[in-house]
Amino acid sequence: MLKYSLRRILGMIPMLFLISVVVFFLALAMPGDSLTGEIDPNNTDPEYIEQMREKLGYNDPIYVQYGRWISNFAQGDFGTSTKYKIPVADLIAQRLPNTLFLGVTSLIITYIFAFVMGMYAGRKPYTKLDNFIGGFNYLMLAIPIYIAGVFAIYFFSFHLGWFPFSGSVDIATNEGTLDWWLSRIYHVILPALVLGAMGTAAYTQFLRNDIIDNSQKDYVRTARAKGTPESRIYNHHILRNSVIPLITFLGFDIVTLVNGALITETIFTYPGLGQLFLSSMTTNDYPTLMTLALMFSFLVLIGNLIADLLYGVVDPRIRLD
Amino acid sequence: MKNKRFYWLLSLVLMLSLFLAACNSGDDTDAQTDAEGDTTEDTSSEEGTETEEESDTGEPKQGGTLTYAIDAEPEGILNVHYYGTATDFEILQFMVDPLFTYDENLAPEPHLADWETEDNKTYTFKFEEGVKWHNGDELTVNDWVFALETLADPDYEGPRYSNVQTIEGAEAYNKGEADSISGIEVINDYEVKVTFDKARVNNLINVWSYPMNENRWKDVPVSEMLGHEFTRTTPIGTGPFKMGKVVPGETYEFIANEDYFKGAPNLDKIIVKVIDNKAVSGALQNGEVDMVPVHPTLGEEVEKMEDVELVTYPGLSYYYVGFKLGVFDNEKKEIVEEKEKYQDKTLRKAMYHAINRQEWIDAFFSGYGSPVDAPVPSNHWIAADDSDLQQYEYDPEKAKSLLDEAGYKDTNGDGFREDPNGDEFVVNFSHYASTNPTFEARAKALTQYWNDIGLQTTLEMIEGSLYYDKIEKDSDDIEVFYGGWSTGTDPDPTALWSSDALWNYTRWNNEKSDELLEKALDVEVVGTDKEKRQEIYTEWQQLANEELPMLYIAELQELQGINKRVGGVEYDVSGSNLPNEWYIKE
Repeated sequence: MLKYSLRRILGMIPMLFLISVVVFFLALAMPGDSLTGEIDPNNTDPEYIEQMREKLGYNDPIYVQYGRWISNFAQGDFGTSTKYKIPVADLIAQRLPNTLFLGVTSLIITYIFAFVMGMYAGRKPYTKLDNFIGGFNYLMLAIPIYIAGVFAIYFFSFHLGWFPFSGSVDIATNEGTLDWWLSRIYHVILPALVLGAMGTAAYTQFLRNDIIDNSQKDYVRTARAKGTPESRIYNHHILRNSVIPLITFLGFDIVTLVNGALITETIFTYPGLGQLFLSSMTTNDYPTLMTLALMFSFLVLIGNLIADLLYGVVDPRIRLD
Repeated sequence: MKNKRFYWLLSLVLMLSLFLAACNSGDDTDAQTDAEGDTTEDTSSEEGTETEEESDTGEPKQGGTLTYAIDAEPEGILNVHYYGTATDFEILQFMVDPLFTYDENLAPEPHLADWETEDNKTYTFKFEEGVKWHNGDELTVNDWVFALETLADPDYEGPRYSNVQTIEGAEAYNKGEADSISGIEVINDYEVKVTFDKARVNNLINVWSYPMNENRWKDVPVSEMLGHEFTRTTPIGTGPFKMGKVVPGETYEFIANEDYFKGAPNLDKIIVKVIDNKAVSGALQNGEVDMVPVHPTLGEEVEKMEDVELVTYPGLSYYYVGFKLGVFDNEKKEIVEEKEKYQDKTLRKAMYHAINRQEWIDAFFSGYGSPVDAPVPSNHWIAADDSDLQQYEYDPEKAKSLLDEAGYKDTNGDGFREDPNGDEFVVNFSHYASTNPTFEARAKALTQYWNDIGLQTTLEMIEGSLYYDKIEKDSDDIEVFYGGWSTGTDPDPTALWSSDALWNYTRWNNEKSDELLEKALDVEVVGTDKEKRQEIYTEWQQLANEELPMLYIAELQELQGINKRVGGVEYDVSGSNLPNEWYIKE
């Protein structure tokens, strides 16, 4: 397995290189550049903009720009954000905690929802409630997240006043205190709920089908014949077997954790990586955009690798070498 | 492609949420509009009487926290010498003070300093004594000199060099040839003499007017200032509020500066919150924010809210439809080529008469604006009187007869006019695309007006940054284009109108216009005589109004939603009054 992992990791290098080329040229193919938005006669003048273009190297040929960027990147210098004017690494470090916090919370919510619904639906398939759960899941899957976000804000924040509609923390609290943590949790619940509740479909249906599958198996029949209580059969014997394939989702969850939720973060003005990625796209902030794009690609590759490795771990029939 | 689709969906949501919000206020408000209909027009005077009443009952109430929202993400450059977007300044306004502010006619008035000049070349500035920085240091002229030197420094990375460039010796300093700026002469801690490279009428307005605490910054190299924590999280100023805690990109806390030289603020705190623009009306309605700028399309909805007052004040921007009349060479800084298609002035006039501007403003800006006839917002002191300008009122019949006269006639019977040579004539109109769903509708409305007088018009919506790129480079597919400019406190339109300016997007090449613009700045001609200057600008506006290189469509009002529990806030064309006068009634 070690050999396999190494081979995969080595294989990532050309892949990441290709991604960097594509990302770079796509980014530069976007119309305008990071200075296009600054045309404001009150604030600046054409000479300054021209000077900055020269300074940032936008007038150089594209391959020169790419060479400069990739060599800096390889040395760990991600550049300076053209919008925020601070190093991209600092910018990401500033926002990563928020994104991770939102990601973890939403994953926990997804798991809770998926387990409760999946276990019930698997145990009592083709009943009214099972159909309802299925319908509910697919409806959530079908509703675009930005609609759900706006509706959630409307109902839970403005109508009921239960949750805040923006931000990640109340500024009146002191960092690190209990109040501060509570305030953070209070602020993260609504976006996490939107994100989490929307993503349950895959988990729930996977679990449900697997439970139904397992319940027809011989070992379950044996258990039943022995007179094991039905609840013990489901919660103990079947669940243990049905959870195993779910573990492989973990690999993909890593990606979800970090790449943030582009739209949810923006709608909730929750300053994380997703919001940063979106704003870097609209303002042509190349250094930020490309660093994030490469970072996300890298995590997708790693996530896939972990998923593949976990397949091997949980199911010995799959051989990796 | 994906991006574009996303925008479409986003705009759909925006629209949906608008409907939602509209449903929310429901039936009971319909009746109210009628009752309020009469009073809504003079919200500003209403505001005025309200504050008077308050002062009758005694001093404004002390204490309380006000929540001020901004609906765009700031960049977090909390240093007035470096910031780039207006959003950052909305945060900064609570903590910095300029040397001079502007009154309701946009004339400068002393604030941190008073000034004197005899020849418009050499100015003597006298600083207010005893003004304290937030860290306790006393403000002296050295802080301002330090700011000017920073802006002129070769390592300076912000956009403000042009605000010191006109000081004598600034260029030498910028090139590293001098150790100080020769035009600055410090007389004592409170007096400084500044000499500009030549006499100009707008030297004062153009010069950089914010000080920078020398004591605090002197050990920081200029090249590191932009990323420094003094710029990012712990900025200071001399203003009515001090920066408290900062959650970057999210919330900014301001605490009252009890030592403020214009009097301690009434409020204890101001919290500036960044919210998504889709949440503006909901947050206002719920009282979660007390003050927030409101987009005109939301104006009507906000006006109906019970606890919220919609304050309107004149803005300094105008919208126009421009014609590409030439091609600009940015190397040579001149217009090198003429474009033929729209050279006929009668055609442009006919297109102007075809537009029902009032109807259009009512439909797309809920009436929060008014038609303009020249490229100067009517509240600017140089604005020409209506009686001096031709009014191009909506008159499709006149438009048609003008076209007939100019030879644009339908010769092949397809219902649309051909050009005087009998060739097909199509007006290619462009507008920038955005997430706002009203943009395409308003552009369509304009094409409809022209279709109605027999000019076949096509519309192209072009993505925002590409749009201005194409206009700036005089791309061939830009012929008739929509745009907007905001003007500053300095009335000089040279940067947008002279024939050697890159941002003169229409490429209007008119000798008389150049001459007038130059004359209005010439001390020999106008001296310090404001009226003389206004006369020249009036003449220039008459020219622009007659020649019509662009069709001036509308000027908009600025809208601010303010919760009724807030008092002491006043707005005029120069912005709000000092926030130390704001208070909470309850």
